[in-house]
Amino acid sequence: MSERSPNGRVDPVRLEVYRHLFASIAEEMGAVLQRSAFSPNIKERRDYSCAVFDARAEMAALAAHIPVHLGAMPLSVAGCLESLELEPGDVAILNDPYRGGSHLPDITLVAPVFAEEGELLGFVANRAHHADVGGATPGSMGLASELSEEGVVIPPRKLVRGGKLDVEVRDLLLDAVRTPEERAGDLRAQLASVRRGVRRLRGMSRRYGRQEVGRYMLELIDYTERVARRFIASLPDGEYRFEDALDDDGVSEGPVPIVVALRIRGEEAEVDFTGTSSQRPSSVNAPYAVAVSATYYVFRALLGEDVPSNGGILRPIRVVAPEGSVVNPRPPAAVAAGNVETSQRITDVLLGALARAVPGRVPAASQGTMNNVTVGGWDPARKRPYAYYETIAGGAGASCRSDGASATHTHMTNTLNTPVEALEYAYPLHVLRYEVRYGSGGAGRHRGGDGVRRDIRVTGAARACILSDRRRLFPYGLDGGDGGSVGRNVLIRDGEERELPGKICLDLEPGDVLSIRTPGGGGFGAA
Amino acid sequence: MERVKAAGRENGRTEGGLRIGIDVGGTFTDLVAIDGIGPLRRCKVFSTPEDPSRAVLAGLEQLLGATDTDAGTSTDDGGTQAAGKISGLRAGASIVHGSTIATNAVLERKGARTALVATRGFRDLLTLGRQDRPDLFDFESRRPEPLASEELSFEVSGRVDHAGVELEPLDEGDLPGLIGRLRSAAAESVAVCLLFSFARPGHEASVGRALREAGFHVSLSSEVLPEFREYERASTTALNAYVGPILDRYLGHLEERLPSGTLRIMLSNGGSAGVEAARREAVRSILSGPAAGVVGALRVARAAGNERILSFDMGGTSTDVALLDGGVPFTSEGEIAGLPVRVPMVDIHTVGAGGGSIARVDAGGALRVGPESAGAAPGPVCYGRGGKQPAVTDANVVLGRLPPDRFLAGALALDADAALAALAELGREAGLETRGLKEADLARRAALGVVRVANARMERALREISAERGRDPEDFTLVSFGGAGGLHACDLARALGIRRVLVPPSASVLSAFGMLAADVLKDYVQTVMQPGDAALAKVEAVAAGLEERGRSEVAADGIGSDRISLRRELDVRYEGQAFEVAVPLSPDFVGLFHAEHERLYGHSDPAAPVQVVNVRVRAIGRVEPPPLEEQAEGAEGKAPVELDRRPVVLGQRPGSEATLDVREAPVLEHGALRPGNRLAGPAIVVSTDTTLYLGPSDRARVDGYRNLLIEVGTEP
Repeated sequence: MSERSPNGRVDPVRLEVYRHLFASIAEEMGAVLQRSAFSPNIKERRDYSCAVFDARAEMAALAAHIPVHLGAMPLSVAGCLESLELEPGDVAILNDPYRGGSHLPDITLVAPVFAEEGELLGFVANRAHHADVGGATPGSMGLASELSEEGVVIPPRKLVRGGKLDVEVRDLLLDAVRTPEERAGDLRAQLASVRRGVRRLRGMSRRYGRQEVGRYMLELIDYTERVARRFIASLPDGEYRFEDALDDDGVSEGPVPIVVALRIRGEEAEVDFTGTSSQRPSSVNAPYAVAVSATYYVFRALLGEDVPSNGGILRPIRVVAPEGSVVNPRPPAAVAAGNVETSQRITDVLLGALARAVPGRVPAASQGTMNNVTVGGWDPARKRPYAYYETIAGGAGASCRSDGASATHTHMTNTLNTPVEALEYAYPLHVLRYEVRYGSGGAGRHRGGDGVRRDIRVTGAARACILSDRRRLFPYGLDGGDGGSVGRNVLIRDGEERELPGKICLDLEPGDVLSIRTPGGGGFGAA
Repeated sequence: MERVKAAGRENGRTEGGLRIGIDVGGTFTDLVAIDGIGPLRRCKVFSTPEDPSRAVLAGLEQLLGATDTDAGTSTDDGGTQAAGKISGLRAGASIVHGSTIATNAVLERKGARTALVATRGFRDLLTLGRQDRPDLFDFESRRPEPLASEELSFEVSGRVDHAGVELEPLDEGDLPGLIGRLRSAAAESVAVCLLFSFARPGHEASVGRALREAGFHVSLSSEVLPEFREYERASTTALNAYVGPILDRYLGHLEERLPSGTLRIMLSNGGSAGVEAARREAVRSILSGPAAGVVGALRVARAAGNERILSFDMGGTSTDVALLDGGVPFTSEGEIAGLPVRVPMVDIHTVGAGGGSIARVDAGGALRVGPESAGAAPGPVCYGRGGKQPAVTDANVVLGRLPPDRFLAGALALDADAALAALAELGREAGLETRGLKEADLARRAALGVVRVANARMERALREISAERGRDPEDFTLVSFGGAGGLHACDLARALGIRRVLVPPSASVLSAFGMLAADVLKDYVQTVMQPGDAALAKVEAVAAGLEERGRSEVAADGIGSDRISLRRELDVRYEGQAFEVAVPLSPDFVGLFHAEHERLYGHSDPAAPVQVVNVRVRAIGRVEPPPLEEQAEGAEGKAPVELDRRPVVLGQRPGSEATLDVREAPVLEHGALRPGNRLAGPAIVVSTDTTLYLGPSDRARVDGYRNLLIEVGTEP
């Protein structure tokens, strides 16, 4: 069959049919992973993504729940191919942020897909956030200064060779973690998911022909590229700069500036982070993949068309991140907070720059943090240690059309909360308040969304880590709208409130209350 | 020679005589009736959305007045509003009504003015939800507004812990003040949801007593859904409060016209309930119409010997699909308009694509179908009601698969020329035009594309539900019903590797028929959260209590004790997991859990501690399903009568994309087909409001129930 429509253009019908077919493979991989995963993080908070790649390792389709995975998935496959020769029946594993990973809890599996005749069809991959990968802090989300303190580092390795599991490679992970059975269960689920992807892609090639399937992966990437180029061409040419900062790096005083220059030339864009802070001796460093993910997310959201999430979006965009900076650190910098906190600020500066290019298309800043809270200690009822990890929503920025949403996860994350009743069943903790911080959104013609207050009391001694930001520097408003209120972390001990820094690990006494009050979103337009 | 199944004869009249099922849809209200052993009578009237009871009463009058076996289609919308009871209905008759009142109240946000009362520190429960946003890539994405707004959210003192221990008492002295504030806020209905109320319902009961005495309509979370996870419980309770008063008024209105005790309400769990129970737990009637369709589909498929089916109900704006592996599937993770509903419902997945879905060419040059829909007004271009953008229905008209003069039994003549012009225009936009191509062929090319894309969307949905449930669609029979389903069923089955399609003769009234087959079903749940090794005595005691309640509530619905059965289940998980697996309650439930976990997820850990989360009891009052008339299949090869023959576009000739494959195909009427008739595609089979298209390699046989059983061929 000819691949072009009668007049020589790409067939608009096949384009759409294949878009659904490839999306269906990624979704099905996701369904298999979610069904068979063990840990709440994958099952209930949906912290995973699945993708299909063409034979040149360019991403053709992605089912993502977490934007921070968007740009990172392609780099994982590239990372594997740099160091491994993948053969039929192989599955590679990795989490090294410097070789295709993003932060250590995110473990990625990559499998090549070969047609029956032996030709390479493409790759399938999935990435899931594991609840613990070892390291100094339970939950592996602390304030380390070097990567090795954050948990086990897995460079690309073959977990499965020619269909046979390599137990030694698997035990690299299992021997290093606090909960090996749970990790083994989640890993099995990830394996089942890539196997399903391999089977579906092979089945498709059998049914529609290897050449046609390969061609339409490429066509779909071209298609998304066309839409992306059209969008960029609609932006006025020029250079748009924006600067914002993290409050601090958690170990020293002073802001961590993130600077971007967005250059639009015709239908291409350059996103240049030159001028951004050099890397820090804490975990606020964001691997290059995170900067790419934020860029991908922002452009994908602005396209307006519901295009397939694939490599086409990034083709017309060049991301320049100076090596040794907080957006492209050199090993062995720690990275846990880079993924969850710095990623949000990267998004803020990109949107700020775009607001200068196309005012009115971009909302004011959202809360700009994920408010990561880890509490660990001894559970006297179950006679064993416990570790509770949570991220807390805040206000979304207002747009030129509407108020920002209150109490919502924004931009680079979208994980669910832990129900209060589930939490109190599982841990020796009590939630005393969980409410909207009314009035914390920035005023304006359209108000920013309000943040959240969540107060948690420990019943025994415990160790807590907070990774949060926007405690000093508020989320910006736009077009004359006010900024959102900064967040606060408060320790209530014996009825007295004590202000805590944005990033801290501390010991709690029985009865202490940790009160996390998250930022509001910026307002839009003068009130 | 006709014969009737023995079961029908035995249990017919003793069941109480006349039984009627009524399904209110967006366009039509369908009624089916059976008196004893049959035959089945049906009637179809236009719905009256401003007051659905008008169409219901009009349909009843027409149905009961009609003496022939098929009352036919009435275009008279609504009957007289004469007071007094409907004539012709004896006490002892049974009417099962699938009402859209509750569903529409939520979708249109026209429910009662609802307040929430929560534990101090938690009045924003409904606003906070699960803190996620519905659309990842939309900066303005937000969850739906809560049913109780900020000024209608209140708190009370008192705190109970997870073990049911009272940490702080409820100060009843606060209640008069609360009542005052509820009155000033003009609340009509109040949802009360306190933390851990399922473990110790006393505080909620006290608040409820005071509010009921004060005249409010009250829903307590410990009564509606005594299950942990406060947001989902509060959402379900708030929905109950929101639709309760609306359903109450509607039922009151209907009851004035019907003999007392005749009316029953269809529920979303695929069962039915008496009016009083339905009033109390109004949330259980949300989304009951599609549930009845699935029950009906299973009934006809089972009679034809199929237990594993994918039900495919394609309507104007959306398509409902469900996977049935031997029984009706349930979920307690349903939602309506983005709001969670945690009472058990038939597990149905809805796709935003139907006959009215609009086709367009997007910025990247791809042909897209939906999610925008032309709906019923203005409708597709061919309706001639002002629709300008081509929809899936228009494509089917252009391809000759939907005969324009037989739509809704000829009640609405379709404008084929207008559909053709619109598709031709789409073809030009999509760049499908070539030199010398006739306008009609350009339109047909575009129409084939629209149908292919629509099918690809539905294939994706069916694959997703199959994968989520760990099944392969190839192992199932596709049961197609709903107005638009038959035009796509065979192509869709082909794409999924499904070999058999079943189209029942009652396709358009399958929901109403399902209501006749609906048992009385009562679902109960109680969170217990017990360690598995010590749980048995405790959970058996809880189950016994729920069973006691179930037995008496089903009996109160008029079901004899010999027809009541009970099923007990536990939701079990490994400690530390956030999801549960359902297993039967038996002394070895722990072993069953490990085995079930292994079966579902491919791994288990018999050494790990398990936890019993919930006890679930279902009380079933068995209702004799309506007998299906089975006729002997006639002599093979006897040709069915053709209404006419018309050219149908099958596709593009292989190897030559430019050439359309057009062939003459017979048009047959489903109602005129006889058991034993055999059809070979291409063919078109019409009935009142559904049309079936058989592709060139599809072969169909009419079975004893007049179902069309299609062996799906390989050639599109």
